[in-house]
Amino acid sequence: MQILLCIDDTDNIESAGTGELAESIAKTIEEKGWGKCYGITRHQLLIHEDIPYTSHNSSMCFKADIKSEYLRKIIEFSSNFLLKESATGSDPGLCVVVVDKLLDRQKLIDFGYKAKKCVLTKDEAYKLANDLNLHLSEHGGTGQGIIGALAGVGLRLTGNNGRFKGKHKINADHSILSVKELCSYPGIDIVKSLDGEIINASEMVLLSEKVKTVLLEDKSVLLVYKKNDNDGFWNNCTKQQLRSY
Amino acid sequence: MKDMFNINKLGNKEFNGGKEDWVHAKLIAEKCDSFKLDDEDELVADDLRSCYNCRYRRWTDKSFSCTKK
Repeated sequence: MQILLCIDDTDNIESAGTGELAESIAKTIEEKGWGKCYGITRHQLLIHEDIPYTSHNSSMCFKADIKSEYLRKIIEFSSNFLLKESATGSDPGLCVVVVDKLLDRQKLIDFGYKAKKCVLTKDEAYKLANDLNLHLSEHGGTGQGIIGALAGVGLRLTGNNGRFKGKHKINADHSILSVKELCSYPGIDIVKSLDGEIINASEMVLLSEKVKTVLLEDKSVLLVYKKNDNDGFWNNCTKQQLRSY
Repeated sequence: MKDMFNINKLGNKEFNGGKEDWVHAKLIAEKCDSFKLDDEDELVADDLRSCYNCRYRRWTDKSFSCTKK
């Protein structure tokens, strides 16, 4: 079965980030033979003075194909892990959704988008989780992180939100690669321009920044742009260009 | 350089350049002893040493506040 697992509000200014904890959970799932995990995405939520986030209010989500008999173990492990590893003063939340058992996909997506625009409450999150038959739990502090955890799953479900955690290691002795070469790396599905144009396999990309991908149309997309229309090659996008994803 | 911070209504030191004053965010960070680079996934400025990439910045509606006193 396929699941989405999302965590939020696990850190403080001095601790490891939420992304690192998500990575540790994914690693354990694989090491224990419970399933196979896929890229972690970062989802930006509303920045508002009434929301008690640490510094950026984002949640971290990943997809996993698991054996159904391990679902309970994964939830138990993740819950205990958050209890043990979350930073002092944080308010961690965990959401786990079995994609095929989700009763109303659109309602969860709507919640995700709403969390980017409005201040939501724990009661709203718990009510929706109950209505939709998914796991939502808090593991310390005020438990406020359940809101972002639930929203993160909704945003991941859209297939069109968030940046993938980390950067891709490109083992090449030169910095200009063809789109075909780039797409041979795991975690790079397609190369697109900022305008949404799919770039042909034979076109060349000059890599001058860290190679990061974003989630678009359910794919891990490397975004590129042309510095100058006369250039023969594309450039991978800068941090500033990727900020809004 | 003029003072680029105001005290906001929560009593925190808030950058008055907004979220896209890349030049001043860089200049301030270059002179700041408290600067600490945030996690790679939270970096948004192309110049690594920038307040926008600092572990101690807390994003606000219009800008960020500096949590270092």
